[in-house]
Amino acid sequence: MASGNAMFARILWRSLTVRAGRVGVALAALAVGAAVVSALLSLYLDIKVKMGEELRAYGANFVVSPADPGARGIAVDTLSRAVAAVPGGKLVGASPALYGVVRLDQGNAVLAGVDFPGLRKVSPYWQVEGAWVGVAFDDRNAMVGRKLAEAMDIRLGDALDVLGESEKARVTVKGIVESGDAEDEQLFVSLPLAQRLLNLPGRADFALLSVAVEGGEADALAAAIDAAAPGVSAKPLRRISESDGVILDKIDGLMAVVAAFILVMTTLCVNATLTAMVAERAPEIGLAKALGADHRAIVAQFLGETALISVAGTLLGLLLGFGLAQVLGQAVFGAWVGFRALVVPVTLIAAMATALAAAIVPVRRAVRIAPARVLRGE
Amino acid sequence: MTAAVSYAEPLTAPAHPVIALRGLGRRFGAVEALADVSFSIRAGEFVAIMGPSGSGKTTLLNILSCLDRPTDGEYLLDGIATANMDEAEQARIRREKIGLVFQQFHLIPYLTALENLMLAQHYHSVADAAAARAALERVGLGHRAGHRPSQLSGGEQQRVCIARALINEPALILADEPTGNLDEANERTIMDLFRELHREGRTIVLVTHNPAFGEVAERTIRLAHGRLEAER
Ligand SMILES: Nc1ncnc2c1ncn2[C@@H]1O[C@H](COP(=O)(O)OP(=O)(O)OP(=O)(O)O)[C@@H](O)[C@H]1O
Ligand SMILES: [Mg+2]
Repeated sequence: MASGNAMFARILWRSLTVRAGRVGVALAALAVGAAVVSALLSLYLDIKVKMGEELRAYGANFVVSPADPGARGIAVDTLSRAVAAVPGGKLVGASPALYGVVRLDQGNAVLAGVDFPGLRKVSPYWQVEGAWVGVAFDDRNAMVGRKLAEAMDIRLGDALDVLGESEKARVTVKGIVESGDAEDEQLFVSLPLAQRLLNLPGRADFALLSVAVEGGEADALAAAIDAAAPGVSAKPLRRISESDGVILDKIDGLMAVVAAFILVMTTLCVNATLTAMVAERAPEIGLAKALGADHRAIVAQFLGETALISVAGTLLGLLLGFGLAQVLGQAVFGAWVGFRALVVPVTLIAAMATALAAAIVPVRRAVRIAPARVLRGE
Repeated sequence: MTAAVSYAEPLTAPAHPVIALRGLGRRFGAVEALADVSFSIRAGEFVAIMGPSGSGKTTLLNILSCLDRPTDGEYLLDGIATANMDEAEQARIRREKIGLVFQQFHLIPYLTALENLMLAQHYHSVADAAAARAALERVGLGHRAGHRPSQLSGGEQQRVCIARALINEPALILADEPTGNLDEANERTIMDLFRELHREGRTIVLVTHNPAFGEVAERTIRLAHGRLEAER
């Protein structure tokens, strides 16, 4: 025996399927709305993190140097303490740097002693021919800036004799680097080797850091580093940190505007469809009233149908949206977008609110239908 | 659950009339569709309302079924004044006290005969397939329960419509030209059905152009230009 709810469900189902065309339009509109909103939301939740990394890929955003500008270098231990003050997880990479002039076979060159794995994280955008030096304490291999290599006709695999203050060393060229900046004229070796060649044991000039911070946190972090390692001065490299924040904020704003625009369009489309449906069904609504249906029953039926359409549209839209997020992620950021559970309820609520807003006027119209008029065919 | 329908026993007549009209009038702007109509109908009566086209028959029936309100006078249904009822109360009266039979049947095309009956039950209280099936059998259409209106003849559709009007056990059955769209054979079937319903003790008010129906009814109320012309 059919229960009351089963009958209600059956009426809903029949009245939806019999108007598949109109229902399809409303469902498609909601699916498109849900797809765009969920795709943007996925991008926002997932890519934003990746985008921050992408932007940091343009280089170091902190420099830690001696507090006293006249000092020649600083102890590496002090720099390590400064780097350790960056909260775990926020540090992308760090490398000390010690500079000096050395003599090669064909003339003088600027020598940079670095921590190769750290430098690689701080300078991921460098173009490297050959390979990076893989470990920090490698004193047999070196990397050479592109311009220096061209000027002195240095090739990958060449052995270089490097003459410092008091010592000399022989290194093999493992990579030729191009940064588009001063680095292109420098010779890179491991920090310990540079210290020996320059006769500055345990010293470095400064350290470069890449830290995952947004605009406002940078100054606080600088202060924290200064406090943790007396004698150093940490400075955010403003240009990069701030543009980070500004670009991200602009993209957030753009996404919000696009989402709002799409939801308004969806509302209008669903509203037009529901209005047409109410007009089409006026005789049916008039009959329902003649049979004794009160306003509540009529509102329940229309909202029930609207809810059913919007749930179906949202589910479809979530699938489409996940695909769309991948397309956008690949096209704009070159990254796949991960699934975030939060996208589902937020999209569902947005779609429901949209459908509800679209239904208000048509449902009021349905409630106001005068049964005596429509039943006589007016 | 037992079907709340028992067709064999006559309903016992209460002391007050089911319908009492006093000086009833209905104006549509300048058009006076009804004026100064007074009569009462007792429980179990079968009353035919006749009159030329435009004389106000449908207007009167709409007021009796609480689909419309009079602009003048009083309408008491089951002894209760209807004048100050709000829409929710009118809807309650319609579903609890009134069964409507239409000239155009007004069945939902995408629901089966059985489901059309269950829809009326749903708006009234709870859909009950067994009771709906019994009501279809009552009008001789038990075997057509699963058919859509488009698969039924006009006469069969009207019988479904009558079964729907009976399904919630209303105190009053109101029919507006129930045979207006039917051929003679079907007209006869429907007329016989109303005769039986009357014999079972139901209160029926039926608008008709057909004098034969006038013979079947106990009493005929004639309208002309919105006024009572004669009563037999
Ligand atoms: N909603 C309305 N607005 C304006 N005038 C109306 C309205 N309903 C009915 N009328 C008028 O009231 C009068 C009575 O109409 P009604 O429909 O009650 O006649 P009827 O007796 O049922 O006629 P028929 O036999 O043709 O069905 C007519 O003049 C009609 O034009
Ligand atoms: Mg009429």
